[in-house]
Amino acid sequence: MLKIINGGIETLVEDWPGRLGYLGKGMSASGAFDNVSLGLANVLVGNPSGEAGLEITGGFFEAEFTDDHVIAITGTDMQPTINGQAVPMYESIKVGAGDKFKVLHIGPVGFRCYVAVAGGVDVPAYLGSKSTCIFGAYGGFDGRPLTPGDEVVFGAPSADLNALAGRKLAEGVVPELTNQWVLRAIPGPNTSPDYATEQGMELLFSRVSKIQHTSNRSAYRLEELPAEFFARTDGGVGGSHPSNIIDHAYAIRGALNICGNTPILLVADGPTLGGYMCALNVINADLWKVGQGAPGRDYIQFQLSSQDEAIAERAAQKKLLSEASLA
Amino acid sequence: MSQGKFNVILDTMAETPSRLEVLFRQAGDGFLQVEYGREQRALLQDSFRMLAVNDIIMGKEVKGLIETVPGIRTNLLHFDPEQIGVEALIDVVKEAEDSLPSIDEVVLPSRLIHLPIAFEDSETKKSVARYLKEVRPDAPNCADGYNLEYMAMCNGLTVDECKQAVLKTDWFDSGGGFWPGGAFLWPMDPRYAIVVPKYNPPRTWTPEGAVGIGGPCVFTYTTPTGGGYQLFGRTIPVFQFSCKHPMFADGPFLYRNADRVRFHEVSEKEVVEIYGHVHDKTDYTYEIDEGEIKAKEYLEWFNSEEVQKGAAELKAKQAEGTKKAPRL
Repeated sequence: MLKIINGGIETLVEDWPGRLGYLGKGMSASGAFDNVSLGLANVLVGNPSGEAGLEITGGFFEAEFTDDHVIAITGTDMQPTINGQAVPMYESIKVGAGDKFKVLHIGPVGFRCYVAVAGGVDVPAYLGSKSTCIFGAYGGFDGRPLTPGDEVVFGAPSADLNALAGRKLAEGVVPELTNQWVLRAIPGPNTSPDYATEQGMELLFSRVSKIQHTSNRSAYRLEELPAEFFARTDGGVGGSHPSNIIDHAYAIRGALNICGNTPILLVADGPTLGGYMCALNVINADLWKVGQGAPGRDYIQFQLSSQDEAIAERAAQKKLLSEASLA
Repeated sequence: MSQGKFNVILDTMAETPSRLEVLFRQAGDGFLQVEYGREQRALLQDSFRMLAVNDIIMGKEVKGLIETVPGIRTNLLHFDPEQIGVEALIDVVKEAEDSLPSIDEVVLPSRLIHLPIAFEDSETKKSVARYLKEVRPDAPNCADGYNLEYMAMCNGLTVDECKQAVLKTDWFDSGGGFWPGGAFLWPMDPRYAIVVPKYNPPRTWTPEGAVGIGGPCVFTYTTPTGGGYQLFGRTIPVFQFSCKHPMFADGPFLYRNADRVRFHEVSEKEVVEIYGHVHDKTDYTYEIDEGEIKAKEYLEWFNSEEVQKGAAELKAKQAEGTKKAPRL
């Protein structure tokens, strides 16, 4: 068990691929914002790569283990310590009763770190997933971030703890974090020539945009687009702005909504349906990068991708998040 | 089909007498958008047909198809591209479309859900007051502590006529989405199809059960949340996270696609009491009639002289009202 001393800025229970199959009921998939980091942490502790772990956003999380466990810490380096001593990331380590785990704050790159515990987080699955939807306050640990006094329970490890401890990743497996994220994306469904101009789409795929500080697990906001982006003067019956259309379902996670002139990437907890055009979709294999982009600090650039590339990258990611990645 | 670098239309099906042109638009590596027609139009006949085709697609139990999300003129197919290719999925949709040659054959299972509503209730009043205090003190849509006055003004109606419009039409569930348990309810009788703008900017809080309208579409708020629809009353729970009440034994959702909702007016006291019987005692009996919609019959009625005459009269009033109502 883990007793929470300080929940930090926002620490959530998340799994992967999250809660699929309820978009038409208004429920987004949620799930780990950086599924690669969660997946690698799980592989290190002997869990299936989609098992639920802790997603620590921003930092300042502190908690005490009440018994023996094997854990792995991945994602951004928040200078994790056990009882004040620095501990390595990206390898499985043994912790014991009374050990105090603590992280500081984000470093120069990345925004979220992940903690997997052998056996996974033991919260009831809600509609097929242990993920928290913070926007709708359901799933995970009572539908909310962890707060002081919470007690997080873990499942049974897949093997003896001593056998699981000390596992490391093969060289080259850990993805590189940056401040300028290149997101491969497929245009559509609302694009040129009918919704946006060819030049507008070229701009969208060539410019570098700062992630706005108002971004969260539902939406990553980018810098405004000029009026010339739009191929129409208004949205007809959908509304007065050319970004308006009659409500349609959003292909989340990863759809880029154009709300007025503001492009908004709909991510983990995003709305599932609404009346704004969607100009592109970040490929599934690159969604993890968005979760490591720090609002107010990092930049996003879209790069044109094909369906074939996207599907090949899905398969490559599945292989990466398996025991094949262990050293 | 355009040949540009950003062309996303993967395939099309030609228009037929009973169906608009079908456009298959790519939406990333796990989604396909099926769009009906090139014009933005909101007509229930499109929704009827799309839901019927959607049922055919779902009945095929296609391997790799995770879910479908119908809107009013688009259907979004969510799939696992490692299990089914997008071309194969398009073929599934084409086959389903071809198997339904005419709108006349569309019959949808459609329950009629009776929901009590209290107009001008105190929870809605709190929500509107909070908006005036915290978000926009000069909001012209919040006269007298509610939005009904503004709704009436926009449509060239009196407040009472506006309430009657809500009660006199059935509301068609064209599909769910946006918020947990949320459904988009469209007026079936065009003689009562009131239309209003949305809040500008949106609210920060709406109570559970609040009923609002934005554009032509009614939404019953399932949990406390923000929101942008004009509020006019409060109904009973249509969603339950805990699934304690027998109505929610199979999941937290009340609505199914193609359901119809009919509101009847009750006192606020009655609505509030029902909350206790749904959430605590779990012994409230929802009033739901099984039924169906026959598209042919509906369209004959919809296109009849009497209905179209009434619809035109409302449109004329709305044109006048829109001129007078302050912009948000």
